[in-house]
Amino acid sequence: MTEESHEDFEAQLPVSERVAATSFAHPSERVAACILDFYQIEWRYEPTTFPLEWDRQGNVLTSFAPDFYLPEFDLYIELTTMNQKLVTKKNRKVRRLKELYPDINIKILYQKDFRKLLFKYGIPVASRHHSEGGGLDAAVSDPGTDA
Amino acid sequence: MTVTFPDERMDRVLFSEEQVTGAVARLGGEITADYAGRDLVLITVLKGGAIFLADLCRAIDLPLTVDFMAISAYGPGAAGAVRITKDLDDAIEGRDVLIVEDIIDTGLTLSYLLRVLRQRRPASLAVCTLLDKDARRIADLPIEYRGFSVPDRFVVGYGLDLEGLWRNVPYIATLNDDIWDG
Repeated sequence: MTEESHEDFEAQLPVSERVAATSFAHPSERVAACILDFYQIEWRYEPTTFPLEWDRQGNVLTSFAPDFYLPEFDLYIELTTMNQKLVTKKNRKVRRLKELYPDINIKILYQKDFRKLLFKYGIPVASRHHSEGGGLDAAVSDPGTDA
Repeated sequence: MTVTFPDERMDRVLFSEEQVTGAVARLGGEITADYAGRDLVLITVLKGGAIFLADLCRAIDLPLTVDFMAISAYGPGAAGAVRITKDLDDAIEGRDVLIVEDIIDTGLTLSYLLRVLRQRRPASLAVCTLLDKDARRIADLPIEYRGFSVPDRFVVGYGLDLEGLWRNVPYIATLNDDIWDG
């Protein structure tokens, strides 16, 4: 996929001003925000950092900031679009989060889930090379119309 | 029973025609019992829900009306936000509205639909879906009537399409994972 053609494809997707103004850590998070905006679902990007591990002095050693919070559903969403074998560490964090904060609702969308979601909306995907951080990008192909 | 699929991308029958017919009859019976004496209107979202609605309304032994909506979907070329592309023909204020869906997946479309219809002040608003695929549910919404829970597979048939095709097959089939996995 060339840089130029990728931009051509992205230009066809609706992007809100808010998404355009937000700096996302990964392109897949940007696509997810676009989808939420399209369906008028209120979202906040990485609004909360949950401490998960402390040293004896009470300093935070490990923390976790889920990607999105959806106030309407009181739900955190974490996108894990890296290769499945690399998600063990993140799974451990989410497990710990649930132990420490049992009232928090969090859902993980794995690479497979995200691929299926993009397919559903007629958005083809391409895997990014590990040297580019891994994960998924919207890819270029004939745009579908029936989502 | 062996089925010859009309499309090689179909994988296996998830629910046979008999199972679908049985689920529709069961749901029709439940709705008949719950809505007796009420002012029922069934609303579905085109195009997927039309087949299910056609059968379900005939399994409900009550006076009722039907109405249809169409809603834009996210994707290349879509406008900036979801919008109604075909609105209801009749007002629903004060009526008992039952949304009839072929499948609920992420719940994002249904979430929008519920928000829109609530503003029109129906007497009640409930949801009936033939298929409930909750593996990737984002908008967790109440579903009063459910035909089947389905695994996280793409499905086709009985209103559900693949590139516009196969809505007319009488069973529900899963699609080969190659369809989305490249």
